[in-house]
Amino acid sequence: MNTPRHLKAYAGLLLAAAGVALLAACNSQEAANPAATGVPATLKSADLATRGRYLVRAADCAACHTTATGAAFAGGVELASPFGKFYGTNITPDKDYGIGNWSADDFYKALHDGVTPDKHLYSAMPYTSYRGMSRADSDAIYAYLMQQKPARVANREVDLKFPYNMRFGVRFWNMLFLQDALPDASVGQSAQWQRGRYLSNVMGHCAECHTPRGMLGQLDSSNPLQGAALGRVAAPGITPAGLAAVGWTAKDLQGFLASGMAPQGSAFGEMYPVVHLSTQYLAQEDLAAISTYLMGDKPLPPQALPAPAADAAKLAAGRQVYLAVCAGCHGREGEGKPHVAVAMKGNSSVRNADAHNLLVATLDGIEEQKFTGTERLQGMPGFAASLSDQEMMQLANFLRAGWGGQADNVTVEQVKKLRDAGAAH
Amino acid sequence: MSAPQSASQILSQDLSLDINGKAVGPMPVPEGLMMIDFLHEYLGLTGSRLGCGQGVCRACVVILDKPDGSSEEVRSCITGAHFFKGKKVRTIEGIAQRNDKGEVTALSPIQQKFLEHFSFQCGYCTPGFVNAATVLLEKLKRTPVARGKLDETITDALNDHICRCTGYVRYFEAVRDVALTTPGLVKDAK
Repeated sequence: MNTPRHLKAYAGLLLAAAGVALLAACNSQEAANPAATGVPATLKSADLATRGRYLVRAADCAACHTTATGAAFAGGVELASPFGKFYGTNITPDKDYGIGNWSADDFYKALHDGVTPDKHLYSAMPYTSYRGMSRADSDAIYAYLMQQKPARVANREVDLKFPYNMRFGVRFWNMLFLQDALPDASVGQSAQWQRGRYLSNVMGHCAECHTPRGMLGQLDSSNPLQGAALGRVAAPGITPAGLAAVGWTAKDLQGFLASGMAPQGSAFGEMYPVVHLSTQYLAQEDLAAISTYLMGDKPLPPQALPAPAADAAKLAAGRQVYLAVCAGCHGREGEGKPHVAVAMKGNSSVRNADAHNLLVATLDGIEEQKFTGTERLQGMPGFAASLSDQEMMQLANFLRAGWGGQADNVTVEQVKKLRDAGAAH
Repeated sequence: MSAPQSASQILSQDLSLDINGKAVGPMPVPEGLMMIDFLHEYLGLTGSRLGCGQGVCRACVVILDKPDGSSEEVRSCITGAHFFKGKKVRTIEGIAQRNDKGEVTALSPIQQKFLEHFSFQCGYCTPGFVNAATVLLEKLKRTPVARGKLDETITDALNDHICRCTGYVRYFEAVRDVALTTPGLVKDAK
C-alpha cells in the first residue's frame, strides 16, 4: 500500500464527512492530525489487514463483539447499564447477520458518527471515543474484519427501559453530547504523550469505563478518567493524581497493561478482559505511550505507603479474620504468593479511598484467570456465604488501615448494601 | 515473600474445638497456622492430604458441621486453625465407625463403595473425595433430589476435586451407587 497517497485521498473524504456530521466539527482530532494512527512503527509497512488486526486489538473490539464461547466477532456479549441491557453485535462479514454489505465508508460512519446504513447506534458502542479515529485506521480495521469468517448469528435486540428504548432519541443525544475529542486528565506535549492520547482516548476507549457518566449516560467531560461504577466492579480513577495516590509508576502501569499484573495488584472485573483481549498484544512502545498519556509528561511521584492508620488493638478483630481465611494465599504479612495470590500490602484496591472494589472482591471472589505466557492466578473464593457483615467490615478496615493507608471507616451497612446488590445481580 | 519471622514474633492464642466428636483444647496455637498443619502437627491426624497448598485441588478438605444441622467442605490448607474456634469439624479419620479403642469397625457406605468401584489408585485425593461425597449424601438426606437431577448434582459436588490417576468416573459411579441404593436420597429411584 502506498500510505501517503492513501492518506491524501482520505483527507478529502474527511472534509466531506465533516460537512455532513451532526455537529459542526471545528476541533476534530483527526482533522488536526489526519496522520494519527494506532499502528506501531514495526507494522508501518505491513498490509492493510495485518495493521487492522493490531488495531482491532488496540480498540478491543472483541470485548463486546466476541463471547467466551461464540464465534469470533459474532456478537452477543451483554453490557448491563442503568438503562437496560445492550448486546454486542455481529461484525463478521456475513451479509444477512453481520456487516457484509457495508462499505468502508459505512464502517467509518459507524465509528465516527454512530450511524449504520439502517440505524442510529446507541452509545454503548463507543463511537464517542472512536470518533477520533483516522480514516486510515478505520479502513485497516474494516479490511481485517472483512477477512474474518462470516458467522450466521443473529443480533440480540437491546433490552432497554422506556424511554431509552426509543432509538430516535439517540439523535438528540448526539447533538447534545457527541464531541470530536475527549478532554485530557493529564498534561503533556511529547510525541509519546500524543500517541498515548490517541491509543487511550480513541482506540482503547478508556474513558468509556473510567470517566463518570451523567444522567443520560453521557461522559462527564469535566471529570475525565476520575473513576466510575458502571458494573459490579468499579473502574478506579486513572488520573495522574489518582494513579500516584495508590502508588503507580509509569513502569508498573506499562507492565500491568502488558501482563495484567503489577506490584499494585492484578487486573480483575472488566479490566481483566481488557488486558486479556487487548493490551497484552500491544507493542511495548504503545503501552509506554499509554502510561505516559495517563500519567503525563511529568508524572507525579508515587505516594509511599503510609504507616498503619489506626492502632493495632482496634484492628485486631479484622486481623483474626484475615489470618483465618486470607493469609493462606495472600501471606501472613500481606506479602502475597507468586503465581497464587497478589500482595495485599500496597494493593491499589486496598489503597483506594473507596472500599467498593475491596468489598466486592471479598464478597464475590474472582474467577481463575489466565495471564500472559504461562502465568495464571487461581480462582479466589468469595466469602459472602462464610463471613458475616460484621466480619467483612472488620476485615476491610484491617486491610485499609493496616496496608492501605486509608481510614478504617467501612461500615456494616456498606457491606450489607453491596452484599444485597450482589445477591440480586 | 517476607523474611521468616522469629518465633518470638508469632503470637499464640488458645484454641478449642470439636474434632470428630471429641473436645480438643484449649491449647495454645500460633495465629495464622493453617488448619491442615494443626491437624498434622498438633493432633497427629495425618489423613487430610496437603496437595497444592493453595486451595485448588481439594485433597485437604475437612467437614464443618454447622449449628443448623447442615455440613460443608472447608479447605484446610488455606483456612487458619483459629477459623474453627468453637466449631465442630470432621476429618477423614472421623468418617468410619470405631470402637472404644479407636479401631475401625465399619467403613461408611461411601468408603465401602469407593473400594468396590476401585475408585482410586494412588489414593492421595481420596480423603477429599470421601468428605465431598459425605457432605453430598448428607445434603441429599435433608433434601432429596429428583432422579433426573442426580447426575448433575453429583458432578457439581465432586467437580472441584482433582484426581490425577484418574478415577473421576469410578468416584462418580460409586457416589451414584450409594445415592440410588440408600432409601430416601433420590425421589424417584427404582
